[in-house]
Amino acid sequence: MDEVLGRSALVSLTATAIALAIGVPAGTWLALAHRRARRVLATAVNTGMAVPTVVVGLVVALLLWRSGPLGDLELIYTLRGMIIAQVLIATPLIAGITMAGLQALSADLHDQLRALGANTPQLVWRLWIEARVPLLAAAMAGFGHAISEVGAATIVGGNIHGQTQVMTTSIVENVGRGDFDEALVYAAILLGLAFTINALLTSVQQRAAAWAQS
Amino acid sequence: MGPVLKLSNVCHVRGGREVLAIDALELEAGDRLAVLGPNGAGKTTLLRLLAGLEAPSAGRSELEGVPVAGADLDVRRRIGYATQRPGLLSTSVIRNVELPLRWRGLAPSARRATALAALERLHVAHLAQRKALSLSGGEAQRVSLARALAVDPQVLLLDEPASGLDAEAHRAFFDDLEAALADRATTVVHVTHRADEALLLADRIAVLTDGAIRQLGDPASVLGQPANATVAKLVGYDNVLSVEVDQEAHVLINGVPCGITTTLDPGPATLAAWAAALRITPPGAAPLRATVDRVAQGPGHWQLTLSAAQTLHAQLPLGQRPPRVGESVDVQVDPAHASVIAPEPRSRAPA
Repeated sequence: MDEVLGRSALVSLTATAIALAIGVPAGTWLALAHRRARRVLATAVNTGMAVPTVVVGLVVALLLWRSGPLGDLELIYTLRGMIIAQVLIATPLIAGITMAGLQALSADLHDQLRALGANTPQLVWRLWIEARVPLLAAAMAGFGHAISEVGAATIVGGNIHGQTQVMTTSIVENVGRGDFDEALVYAAILLGLAFTINALLTSVQQRAAAWAQS
Repeated sequence: MGPVLKLSNVCHVRGGREVLAIDALELEAGDRLAVLGPNGAGKTTLLRLLAGLEAPSAGRSELEGVPVAGADLDVRRRIGYATQRPGLLSTSVIRNVELPLRWRGLAPSARRATALAALERLHVAHLAQRKALSLSGGEAQRVSLARALAVDPQVLLLDEPASGLDAEAHRAFFDDLEAALADRATTVVHVTHRADEALLLADRIAVLTDGAIRQLGDPASVLGQPANATVAKLVGYDNVLSVEVDQEAHVLINGVPCGITTTLDPGPATLAAWAAALRITPPGAAPLRATVDRVAQGPGHWQLTLSAAQTLHAQLPLGQRPPRVGESVDVQVDPAHASVIAPEPRSRAPA
């Protein structure tokens, strides 16, 4: 059980970290991009937020399948393949929340920073600091989405004991076997893991919000 | 030496609509220009073009001969811009003021001293350690201005920087701004919709409506001889009336002489008169008869609203007994506080 818990945390935290590295810059670009360019891509990101995880799993599996275009990488039924799937699941969510968070900042603030002489990296860094509360919300949402999904983990990971089985796929397997007790234990542990990580992020987020207003 | 700021043949289009069209505008070092215009006139767009935050759709906006939009950061960093809202960041006041200095590579000790000096000049140094987002509106405006001044900009752009302040705070804000600029050759462009505010800093006033400068001159000439009825209303004339000039050069309100003569040709014209220019006389003392519609107490005077086919606004000293509502009075206009404006040439109809 410890092994499954550790694997779940490893896959979802890694996927969230990668999704943050992609989604935050992408959301920032969307927030600062010209309105016309933004409209199409923002729609794509918002659609990505609503794509069922099994669909993502299916697409990733087709790509990674041994006879698929990326089959040579031998990532199907591996943790790395599962991480790729979870990155695709979490990234649109993080990008969407980042974009909304930055757009909620005053337009004057953007002008002020540029008028104060910020170059582009200085401007973006300062905007991220100002939008730190929604950015932390994006991280929480991304992690929550990644660790709780089961469709992509099953299709891409294959729920192989000792290799790719994670908490959610274990719960599905146990329910399938009629072993509700073990399924409930896994569910409680999964909830505990999600609660611990989100409590940590929420604490940082709320401290950041309170500091600015105090 | 050439102009510090120069706009030439600037036309700016937004959403398919021309929002600004300025053929030429030049400011020398130390010039202080107030841009007076109603909401939506294009004032903020003008500042954004001057600051290089937007490139004009056509024409050039230059700082010492260099187009500002797309220019090196070094060029943009010579311009300070205080936007309408203070735009303070969620950190301490001192860090807000230090930030542009840090971006310019100042050492920590130098930027701390410079930031404190800037806050001191605006009388807000005691707020240095406070969270910027916890400040009152007036405090935030001062900190925002201190931040813009801390980098000792060659050009300072002010977008209604004291909007939302009460009368006393507003006056104190501009007194301190004047003092902070006193020993500098900073070129200032200050946009506002308030005529009284435009007069506080400016040595020139540009009246901007519908994206075009309708009049540009020193405050005395713009106030004393507004170019048209729109400018007269913007600079604050209480009465902007349609009048006729007769063959004897008398100015007629509703066909009745009002006590003013003019050098304009006979025909329609506009009369701009301050409320203080309208003298209320007992019936029979002047030919223009009006009825009192409203009497209200203003600061130091009675404010009278009169009707004589057109609405007139007059003042009486508080010590004088005001007429009653509905009473008939005669009105004479003091030429020393009024201006007769020639009608604008009609635009030719398209062929």
